[in-house]
Amino acid sequence: MTAHTGLFAVSCSREHSTGTKTLQGERQLNQFLAGVERRALRMAEIAVRDRDDALDLVQEAMIKLARNYATRPSTEWAPLFFRILQNGIRDWHRRQKVRNRVMVWFGRSTSDDDFDITANLPDPSGRTPDEQLQTSEAMQQLELAVLNLPDRQREAFMLRTFQGLDVAATATAMGCSDGSVKTHYSRAIHSLRDTLGEHWQ
Amino acid sequence: MNEPMDTKQKDDDEIIEKAKALFDESVDSLDAATLSRLNQGRHRALAELQRANPVGPSLRWLPATGIAAAALLAVMVMRGSDGVDVIEAPVTASDFEMLLEEDSLDMLEELEFYFWLEATDLEANGNVG
Repeated sequence: MTAHTGLFAVSCSREHSTGTKTLQGERQLNQFLAGVERRALRMAEIAVRDRDDALDLVQEAMIKLARNYATRPSTEWAPLFFRILQNGIRDWHRRQKVRNRVMVWFGRSTSDDDFDITANLPDPSGRTPDEQLQTSEAMQQLELAVLNLPDRQREAFMLRTFQGLDVAATATAMGCSDGSVKTHYSRAIHSLRDTLGEHWQ
Repeated sequence: MNEPMDTKQKDDDEIIEKAKALFDESVDSLDAATLSRLNQGRHRALAELQRANPVGPSLRWLPATGIAAAALLAVMVMRGSDGVDVIEAPVTASDFEMLLEEDSLDMLEELEFYFWLEATDLEANGNVG
């Protein structure tokens, strides 16, 4: 009798413990995502110049992290999350290139050679003219300069400067070596300094 | 020689600091609608986590386990009540203690006297009767 009751109690206790762990994990993941989502959105937005697409990319990254890496130590979440996000951004650019080629083939778009990214740039946030006025001109210059960086330099710069990841975490997020991160980052800074010039500082 | 390098480094640091400050400002000024959409996206991700690690299946068995435990308890009580499998309580240490008490030994020593007394009474009663 006692043994049966004991087994039942142990079983219930184990299930309770598992449930508590799951809830704890969920709370931890929620905290992590809430902490990175805004920065992730702005980084994605700078990279793709579209808020809706950026929101989709961030959501997709959050879902993939929860689905595949939630059981990993929470210290690994940041590089993993940004790696997923960067992969999503790269895929987005690939799809855009294909779409542009198709549009050119149908004669609906001008050639990429004539495309001036700074001309008539729409507000990425979809803000009203009044709100746009409030937006810092310096930020717009920065966004354009970052956007015009080569992909790997842009990734290194955003992850290190905007997200504050260290070299090792940035390397994990980018899927490359620490040395490559340092090179890309250094080149990005030099390029931004040349593009933005002394007046921006 | 070191001065241009220092100036360059200083310029780089300034660019980084300014970029960081501007970016932080743009993050802080995100509108409510966007924040709401981010919140929704996060909850969708957390729902995915629940789907991947459900608490449900283990709790799903809880009612069945409860019923099984109750049935087991009922069977054990019923088997005990018909007396078939009830084992008599063995002699315990307290019984021996009672037997070995000093008073009990005295009673055993006087047992012969009690038998004599009983026989005497019987004889007397026979004589009377």
